[in-house]
Amino acid sequence: MRRRSRGGTATEPRGSALYEVLKGIDFERRELLDKPRGVGLFDLVKDKGGSYRCYACTLCERTCPVDCIEIDYCPEFEELPFDLEAERAAALATLPGESCGANSACVVGEQPAGFVPEIDMKKFDAVVAGIRSGTGLVQALHSTQEAYGYLPRVALENIAGEMGLPLSRVFGVASFYGQFRLVPVGKHVIDVCMGTACHVAGAPLVVEAFSQELEIPVGGTTPDGLFTLQTVNCVGSCALAPVVRLGDDETIGRVGPNEARRLVRRLRKAEVPA
Amino acid sequence: MSARRTNGREPADAGAARRSGDASRTRRAGRIRRAFKAAFDAGAYIADDGKAEIRVCAGTACHASGRAALRTAIDKALADRGLTDKVAVVETGCHGFCEEGPIVVVRPQGLFYPRLTPKDVDEIIATSVVSDGIVERLLYKDPATGEPVAHEAEIPFYKLQERVVLALNGKIDPYSIDDYLAHGGYAALARVLEDDDPMAVIDEVEAAGLRGRGGAGFPAGRKWRFCRGNPGDVHYIICNADEGDPGAFMDRSVLEGNPHSVIEGMTIAAFAIGAQSGPVEGYVYVRHEYPFAVQRLRAALTQARERGLLGEDILGSGFSFDIRINQGAGAFVCGESTALTASIEGHRGMPRGKHIRTVAQGLWGQPTNLNNVETYANVPWIVNHGAEAFAARGTATSKGTKIFSLTGKVVNGGLIEVPMGATLRHVIFDIGGGMLPGREFKAVQLGGPSGGCLPAALLDDPIDFESLMAAGSMMGSGGMVVVDDTTCMVDFVKFFLKFTAEESCGKCVPCRIGSQRLLEILERISDGEGTLDDLERLETLSEDIIEGSLCQLGGSAPNPVLSALRYFRDEIEAHIVEHRCPARVCRPLIQYTIDPDACTGCHVCFAACPTDAISGERKQAHVIDQKLCIKCDTCRQVCKFDAIPVVDARPALAEGRQR
Ligand SMILES: Cc1cc2nc3c(=O)[nH]c(=O)nc-3n(C[C@H](O)[C@H](O)[C@H](O)COP(=O)(O)O)c2cc1C
Ligand code: SF4
Ligand code: SF4
Ligand code: SF4
Ligand code: FES
Ligand code: FES
Repeated sequence: MRRRSRGGTATEPRGSALYEVLKGIDFERRELLDKPRGVGLFDLVKDKGGSYRCYACTLCERTCPVDCIEIDYCPEFEELPFDLEAERAAALATLPGESCGANSACVVGEQPAGFVPEIDMKKFDAVVAGIRSGTGLVQALHSTQEAYGYLPRVALENIAGEMGLPLSRVFGVASFYGQFRLVPVGKHVIDVCMGTACHVAGAPLVVEAFSQELEIPVGGTTPDGLFTLQTVNCVGSCALAPVVRLGDDETIGRVGPNEARRLVRRLRKAEVPA
Repeated sequence: MSARRTNGREPADAGAARRSGDASRTRRAGRIRRAFKAAFDAGAYIADDGKAEIRVCAGTACHASGRAALRTAIDKALADRGLTDKVAVVETGCHGFCEEGPIVVVRPQGLFYPRLTPKDVDEIIATSVVSDGIVERLLYKDPATGEPVAHEAEIPFYKLQERVVLALNGKIDPYSIDDYLAHGGYAALARVLEDDDPMAVIDEVEAAGLRGRGGAGFPAGRKWRFCRGNPGDVHYIICNADEGDPGAFMDRSVLEGNPHSVIEGMTIAAFAIGAQSGPVEGYVYVRHEYPFAVQRLRAALTQARERGLLGEDILGSGFSFDIRINQGAGAFVCGESTALTASIEGHRGMPRGKHIRTVAQGLWGQPTNLNNVETYANVPWIVNHGAEAFAARGTATSKGTKIFSLTGKVVNGGLIEVPMGATLRHVIFDIGGGMLPGREFKAVQLGGPSGGCLPAALLDDPIDFESLMAAGSMMGSGGMVVVDDTTCMVDFVKFFLKFTAEESCGKCVPCRIGSQRLLEILERISDGEGTLDDLERLETLSEDIIEGSLCQLGGSAPNPVLSALRYFRDEIEAHIVEHRCPARVCRPLIQYTIDPDACTGCHVCFAACPTDAISGERKQAHVIDQKLCIKCDTCRQVCKFDAIPVVDARPALAEGRQR
């Protein structure tokens, strides 16, 4: 197979850095250069005064996708300007977003403008009971969403408080999973299946038809709060493709664009008494 | 109880060494046997005594095709005739023939009635339940011969399968542990507990050659051995029921139709891995999109606990094990082992490096065994029938049977269980009934977003782990999507890339950004704006993504692209060179027209068109205004006279290029 030319930006490795950054890579034989996408060797940058700029924040160690970085105490330096082990432990224990002091306002947006239903905190008791019985964060978010149809910010704050977690961490999990919603849903939630079987049977045309008829994009809610349009990856009824799920209970098979438009019109009609 | 194994694997001196404990062993075995009998007798199960019974499929798909209304109609019809107490109505799990849902089977005759509506119920009860007749009009008709087939067992779709894992699906009531027990359920667990030899169980599973059914095909016995060998405070046994492959539903069906088989398999695995060494705990990680599966599993766990088959001191053996349910939340990557454990722990489901294996440090840092639903469901069978019987099916390296969920443009969509090594042709054409009338087979896609599309030339290849891998596809979890000449390969591959680009957890740049770039190149091609250089770009970028990705999501994301380049290059090139989409799917390259000779002027399309692009008087040929048409396909679908052909948008240009 065709290989890229060798990355030409390699600089000479400087033997004894304060931290041995690239564990397992042979600097002498420069093995990294033989890796197809190696663009050079890692090096620690020094400032004008000649000292390393690395602060040992361990961010690189934590984010490296292939876990190739390990920040280690380097015995060549007898005296360290700080307690490395303690710093390291503290840094690894810090969760992203926690240390900024701004209560994660940057990631957890304010309540969206527009259609916001009343939040009945009584419904939250079940979630708290679940958390106390030892279910994890993901399950707590599920039961919150069951109660409100979405994850209201105040609920996330309460979960964070109840579980002793930073809000950013709760939000991080909530935003990772496709099923969690951070904005309220309409009365009728339309989930169009976009799994393989449904795709082959024409699901993209069905989503488009819904989107046009409702005049909202996927993920949107109509201004009257009646409809929310979503997609889902396979609901397990592939033999009936294309499949549309209406709310939690109703699944409709063999829906084409024409049926989609008619379904919306029918639901609309039922809402507005003639 | 089933016949004992005769292939005594135990070395003679080991038996002698144990003899000292023989008396206490015999007592223990007796205790377990009595406890098992008590569990059995606790039920109110009345054995199959030839009484009339109506089985209604209550699987997810049949539910979607109307089983609730059907059930109401059946109950009412029975009540009207005063038969409520005489005829049992049993709701079963998926029969695997979802295409024909909602399905009803009338027993004891075993009459199979597909696609029923509430209107049909009365007639069926009058003819087949009250008396012994058959409602011919409602029977399944063999699409090949057009002949009606009365009995479930005679339908080619079922007749040609070898159902091992699915054997009881559709036969038993998933809400009834008695039903499962009456069909030999939990006998394997009782036997294993009685024998009290965890290593022998591992040996047996290893000798059977059971390989993981969740994708990679790792030998289950070997994984169990590793896991057992790793020290920890507790060993975790996890069942992967995330079934992320969009378009596959075998795990869903097994959990919905026979949840106890999975519980039994997990408990046997727990015993093999944890017994005599330390505590074991279980988790089932189920997709949140499968509410029925969760409900049934939950009910089954409660029943198993009530009968002493799960929980503390199972059957008085001193071995304890319990299972918790953990629901996913719609992230494909959570099917990956380390992402799955992260998700249970309440983190973002992001994989980690595999230099520390899950069997050594998995959930909460403890040794963890992760297997797929189907893998566990095979275990009781192996214990009951022995490794040899299991290994008798399949090929040299892939043993046993595998369930495939056949979907797409085939006649009989549904679940198909066949021995490994069966050919694609056998599954798609003999069992699946082949292509829809008038359509031509183009490709079969296996392995979901990680797999590849195989062309007609490979239809006679056997289905096993190695052959599929060599062909550039993979077994995956068993999704099998068949497409015909109306599916455009560029569009199809675009779909998979869109899926992986959306589902990438974002940790690795090659996966997160690379898959997005692949998608953009494909979009360019499907818009008719690609260049031949793009093909090479696709190839090199694919290689880079494969190498630079941490987990197999990124590592296999380019497979659909690579397999399409390998087998369907002509079609991709047609988009680039001729600006033509041979399957007439890619929108910028097609046009909807009305054939004036075929059009009857019925006005149906006129009413359906969302943009009023169609005009014409009744009984006159209609025309489409190309400026208004948004190519939504509605008119073509509603036209009963096939009068709306889709044609190349730029025929002149295409011809010019061809020359
Ligand atoms: C991105 C990704 C998704 C996966 N999804 C699933 C899944 O939905 N179900 C499953 O059983 N295995 C899935 N796997 C495979 C699992 O990581 C694991 O190999 C399997 O569950 C092990 O069980 P087995 O040995 O019984 O097959 C996935 C792997 C990857 C990389
Ligand atoms: S390959 Fe993709 S899904 Fe897997 S860890 Fe990397 S970014 Fe995440
Ligand atoms: S639906 Fe078909 S036959 Fe009827 S007017 Fe339209 S093109 Fe003509
Ligand atoms: S494809 Fe859609 S927009 Fe175009 S004419 Fe047909 S119905 Fe109208
Ligand atoms: S692909 Fe739509 S239900 Fe499975
Ligand atoms: S759900 Fe009824 S046959 Fe599959």
